[in-house]
Amino acid sequence: MNEAMIRVRGLTKRYQRGGETLTVLDGLELEMQEGGFYALMGPSGSGKTTLLNLIGGLDQADDGELFVAGENLAELDNAGLAHWRAASVGFVFQGFNLIPVLSAFENVELPLKLTPLSRAERRQHAEFALELVGLKERMHHRPKQLSGGQEQRVAIARAIATDPKLILADEPTGDLDRKSADQVLELLGRLNAEFKKTILMVTHDPHAAEAAKSVVHLDKGQLKGIEEKRR
Amino acid sequence: MLVPLTYNLRSLWVRRASTLLTVLGLGATVAIVSAVLALQQGFQGMFTAGGREDLVVFLRPGATGEGDSIFRRDLGTRLMKTLPEIVVDAQGPRASMECYLAVLARRVDGGETNVPLRGVEPASFRLHGDALRLVEGRNFTPGSDEVIVGKSLSGRLQNAALGDVIVLNTTPFRVVGIFEHAGAFASEIWGDLERFMPTLGRYGPNRILAEVQPGTDVKALSARLEGDKEVPAKAVTEKEYLASQTQVFGGVLIGLGLLLGLIMGTGAIFAATNTMLASVASRTSEIGVLLSLGYRPFPIFLAFQFEALVLGLLGGLVGCLLALPINGIETGAMNWQTFTEFAFAFRVTPTVLVAAVVFSLGLGLIGGAWPAWRAARMKPTEALRQG
Amino acid sequence: MTKLVWRQILGHPVRSLLTVGAVFVGVFLLCMLRSVVVALNAGVDAASAARLMVQSSVSLFVSLPISYKERIAGVEGVEAISKWQWFGGFYQDQSNFFAQFAVDPVELFDAYPELEIAPEVKQRFLERRNACIVGEQLFEQFRDEGWEVGKSIPMIGALFPHPSGGAWEFELAGTYRSATGALDNRTMFFQWDFFEKTAEQTECGVFVLKVAPGADVSRIMAEIDTLYENGPQKVRTTTEKEFQRQFVTMIGAVPLFVSWIGGGAVLAILMACVNTMLLAARQQVHDVGILKALGFTDGTAFQLMLAQSLTLCVLGGALGVGFALVTEPVLVTLLGTFFPGYAITPETVGLGLGAALLLGLVAGIAPAMSSARLNPVQALRGT
Repeated sequence: MNEAMIRVRGLTKRYQRGGETLTVLDGLELEMQEGGFYALMGPSGSGKTTLLNLIGGLDQADDGELFVAGENLAELDNAGLAHWRAASVGFVFQGFNLIPVLSAFENVELPLKLTPLSRAERRQHAEFALELVGLKERMHHRPKQLSGGQEQRVAIARAIATDPKLILADEPTGDLDRKSADQVLELLGRLNAEFKKTILMVTHDPHAAEAAKSVVHLDKGQLKGIEEKRR
Repeated sequence: MLVPLTYNLRSLWVRRASTLLTVLGLGATVAIVSAVLALQQGFQGMFTAGGREDLVVFLRPGATGEGDSIFRRDLGTRLMKTLPEIVVDAQGPRASMECYLAVLARRVDGGETNVPLRGVEPASFRLHGDALRLVEGRNFTPGSDEVIVGKSLSGRLQNAALGDVIVLNTTPFRVVGIFEHAGAFASEIWGDLERFMPTLGRYGPNRILAEVQPGTDVKALSARLEGDKEVPAKAVTEKEYLASQTQVFGGVLIGLGLLLGLIMGTGAIFAATNTMLASVASRTSEIGVLLSLGYRPFPIFLAFQFEALVLGLLGGLVGCLLALPINGIETGAMNWQTFTEFAFAFRVTPTVLVAAVVFSLGLGLIGGAWPAWRAARMKPTEALRQG
Repeated sequence: MTKLVWRQILGHPVRSLLTVGAVFVGVFLLCMLRSVVVALNAGVDAASAARLMVQSSVSLFVSLPISYKERIAGVEGVEAISKWQWFGGFYQDQSNFFAQFAVDPVELFDAYPELEIAPEVKQRFLERRNACIVGEQLFEQFRDEGWEVGKSIPMIGALFPHPSGGAWEFELAGTYRSATGALDNRTMFFQWDFFEKTAEQTECGVFVLKVAPGADVSRIMAEIDTLYENGPQKVRTTTEKEFQRQFVTMIGAVPLFVSWIGGGAVLAILMACVNTMLLAARQQVHDVGILKALGFTDGTAFQLMLAQSLTLCVLGGALGVGFALVTEPVLVTLLGTFFPGYAITPETVGLGLGAALLLGLVAGIAPAMSSARLNPVQALRGT
């Protein structure tokens, strides 16, 4: 574990908004270790979601270096990024983002279809993931038949189905009530402690940040500091 | 209170790709149906042009047209001379015997066709007067083997130009003139009755054409003649006769137009419904807002129905624009009733245009009805939440 | 992936159904129109090289003296010669249109081996003077109106009125079936002799000749035409193919016209399909974002959209072709008067399905490309 799981050097990202150019990330320098549970926090506009998207290979930076899980993301093209995402990352979104026309089981199975696993093997993995999040008995339900908290847990099952090293969560508790939020946070904690998953969680909720082991503070596209917590 | 129309018009503009595609689809549908109608209008119009109500056509009772009618020579003459309704002037009865045969001819493009050959007497020209005008050459000399050719044919047939020779059976006939007529005669070849009959082996004329006294009841005349012992005949005005000869083909074309309208119209309605459904679905929150502002469901229904009607109107206009260029394009078709070639042009008449637009409006109306109803039935809370 | 394709299609049942419906309508029309053109050419395509027709060189409506038969029969290579006359009558009403011919019966069967007829029917037809045979399609059409084997059918002679002033009575001997398109199954044939005696006929419309196998057809045709170079009635001899074709070319621009209509219909449907697929793509932007986030490639997104388009269009096409096949018998009856050869051929089926496939491809291209190009971040953001 000498090499950091995530290494960010001089990362810059700009957006065009109605004729003006906004610099969202400004020469960001950052390192995150494998096995960590990081909460990314900062005022709105600080670039935390943008950073998450770049680390997850959903977008490309304008400048700087980005190494994630040993891979230089700047050198990958669209197809390369897609393959990399399938193998290395699991996403959890604020709005759950389950595909409405598929059942819970089918949603969890989706990323597995990108692997060479056989049908029976895929089924095994998917059921295992669903059992982990405690929703195996609802696996044939459609998203609209599940509550918000249940949907998010299915999304987490989907995120871990291919056993990726890295889990990226963007305001995972933003749309949930207190009880469901706690369930989700507890789940994430378990995934980190028991299964050694590296977790990055963007949040503005201090209560959610308490579940993490470290807090990364961003402001105006730059790193303000990393707070290591004793847990 | 009604939803402002600008809201709907602007919505169509905002979703312009979808609007454009729908309008084009509707336009193509309308254009095709219009083209078929234009064909029928052109055919019907030109064939019956110039048909007069004071000229009466006498045929053998039971004949469906002059093609299967025949009179014995002497009986025909008797009818012309003795029928009181026929007008008589200084030169005699204003009546003429004519023989008629659809003869084989070759088109300039090599295909075969049938053209009407009409053997007439000098009296025929008296009857038609200025309606029949020679534009090139001269009229044929009675008693000679000469013919005059209708203008529409002279460009389309082989051997039909001035100076050419047309061989009928074993007799050559020289083309000495080209004549013009507003209607069906322009696709005919005329010659001397006395020369055609022996050449074609006929013993009598096919029909008698006569001018009748003003106010003659032609139907009564016909009824009377059908029972006549000496010269049984049936009588119709020239105008009616021409119309009757277009019934089959004209009817087929209208039938085709209706069938196409039905089939393609159905497809167009599906397309319009799809467009409107998507439009409604993407504006659920807007509808929710309208409802929460106090607009009632019925005006919302009307609003979306109006949008669909605008689509229909635009489609109709595009269809008309697409169809207009064919106006005047010359074509020829076989009149299946007379089995003769007839040259005419597409006519995009006001009837066609009006029918096209009405048809298209109808498509829009029907296509948009259900989506408009769905929009009107939305509950404000659901609609706002979805947006 | 197929599962996802189907779920997206079924997830919007109304939109999918309407799209399938539009393609269904278009393909059905296409098949119908093409079948009409096929019908027009049916006679030409099925023409036999062993048959020649001799008719007046002047007009279809001028007859030839019956006495010509002997001299024409004398030409070397002519195996059989049959007199034919178009009767031009109607049954009860003028709108009941079908062909009737007075023919030399024995030579009819000689010249048309494809005429399938039961031996007892043939026997009856040959033996009874006023017998007639009708095509089985025609019999089906009028069976409910009282046509029965053994009973007589009254025909009003428009061209050849019965001397008594009433109707001609033909006793129905039975039905025939034509194995090729050279004859349709909607014609009535009756005996020449009966016709000649009753109407005091001295002329016939057409002579149908059977030539010996291997005979030099051009020589025979030229020889017959020269026989009557100087009258009294000049003739022209044609092969059956040319004879049939003259009817087709007379119809003129109809096939062209029909192609234009077909093309226009496909275009209209194409607009509808492109529209639908674009709408579908727009609605699926969010889902495509999710898939890309999970690691599915741009190519997969492309395929997803294209597959939906193809599925809907091919489904609509298959239904259209199926419906055309199912309605074939009905349309044959309805259109039989004008298009007796109406039939849905394998080529027509291929054309219909091919058009549907093409439609699916063209309609799906743009939406597929837009899906491929979607940036996952934006796609997820803009619900």
